[in-house]
Amino acid sequence: MPEYANPDVLVSTEWVAGHLQDPKVRIVESNEDRALYTQGHIPGAVEIDWMVDLQDQNWRDYIDRAAFEKLCIERGISNDSTVVFYGDKNNWWACYAFWVFKLYGHGDCRIMDGGRKRWDLDGRGWSSDRVNTARGHYTATEQDGSIRALRDEVLKHQKAGKQLLDVRSPEEYRGERTHMPDYPNEGAVRGGHIPGAVNVPWPMNCREDGTFKSAKELEKLYIRELRMKRRSPTIAYCRIGERSSLTWFVLKYLLGFGNVKNYDGSWLEWGNCVRVPIAKGGDPGGSAGPSATTTSG
Amino acid sequence: MTSVQNRIEAIIGEFADLDSREKLELLVDFANGLPPLSAEYEARKAAEDRRVHECQTAVFLWPDVDSGRARLVAEVAPEAPTVKGFVAILAEAINGHPAAEAGDIPDDLLERMGLADVLGMLRSRGLRAIVGHVKRGIAAKAAATA
Repeated sequence: MPEYANPDVLVSTEWVAGHLQDPKVRIVESNEDRALYTQGHIPGAVEIDWMVDLQDQNWRDYIDRAAFEKLCIERGISNDSTVVFYGDKNNWWACYAFWVFKLYGHGDCRIMDGGRKRWDLDGRGWSSDRVNTARGHYTATEQDGSIRALRDEVLKHQKAGKQLLDVRSPEEYRGERTHMPDYPNEGAVRGGHIPGAVNVPWPMNCREDGTFKSAKELEKLYIRELRMKRRSPTIAYCRIGERSSLTWFVLKYLLGFGNVKNYDGSWLEWGNCVRVPIAKGGDPGGSAGPSATTTSG
Repeated sequence: MTSVQNRIEAIIGEFADLDSREKLELLVDFANGLPPLSAEYEARKAAEDRRVHECQTAVFLWPDVDSGRARLVAEVAPEAPTVKGFVAILAEAINGHPAAEAGDIPDDLLERMGLADVLGMLRSRGLRAIVGHVKRGIAAKAAATA
């Protein structure tokens, strides 16, 4: 029975319940719906919102290093804290926050397997108390470029025919729609996928109760069926980089891929770019549009 | 001012001086106050296509007009308290007031309550779509029953 490559990075709700008073552990909730935290959170947990807290409100990028340090200090997080992320929707936003913490070099990050759903199913209680924490001490590193891919790098990666993973819904991948079913359109002009990308919709990583699938099931999906190679450089993307941060987490920490990056610009950038190739349809190569033939250099 | 405008101003006033945390708490209060569907609407939910497709979570809306008065009945999934609270606010603003005044709900209600900054750009966009959906729904009903 194969094990996850880094089993310690996942903790159970039981582990979290046993560490609520541990001063070295900081529990962080990140949700799609912010008001869920207000309504009820794990006792002592602080909230970090992916949109309001982690993204710069003026330019399309993450908060800078100084703002990240300030955020951590205010939330009672220090460099040596064990930060456990959890949230709604299969920990999708929790993985996004985890990824941003790794971007700024935080050492000990974990995910509470199953997130809010598993905590609920395990019958553990919620608290709506306000959480006041002692301030942390924090010095962040510069952004870690080894886990984040920007557009030009993705273009080179694509041209070289390296491993690309599209984690959006099949409808988005085929170019029939530019946003998730039931979600508002955030403005990508064109539909389709990056030529060469294979499609593994992100929910395929998770079970019904929100926990991650076993190492065996994940290996079967990515390595045996798709024949992806752990040692080959891999880039994952979605629409704005949130769903793909969950797949990034799975590939890097659960399956032990050596070099995997999240392309956070994702389809919202790619689908609006001038002169980048796009493929439509269910085939990775797809029927590339005219832009594919006019793109050179 | 119309009676709907008065209600809207009162609700905006409730949010006005609150910090982000308090705004979210008040929004959750509104969410908790949205009554569950009656048996009649539970039956209609199964029979009618009332799901709002612009919304990321399950939102069912019945914008209606009863003797010239607006009535919004709604069900929102419990995992989406933000949407639920906002829908409850819309119901409180228009229910029982003249249907013709439903159009007085400002399109920028979220900004005027100071919630747009608390929720961020992408979430706010989805909620703004609900305002339009309700206003169009009531107007259509009013026109059909006039």
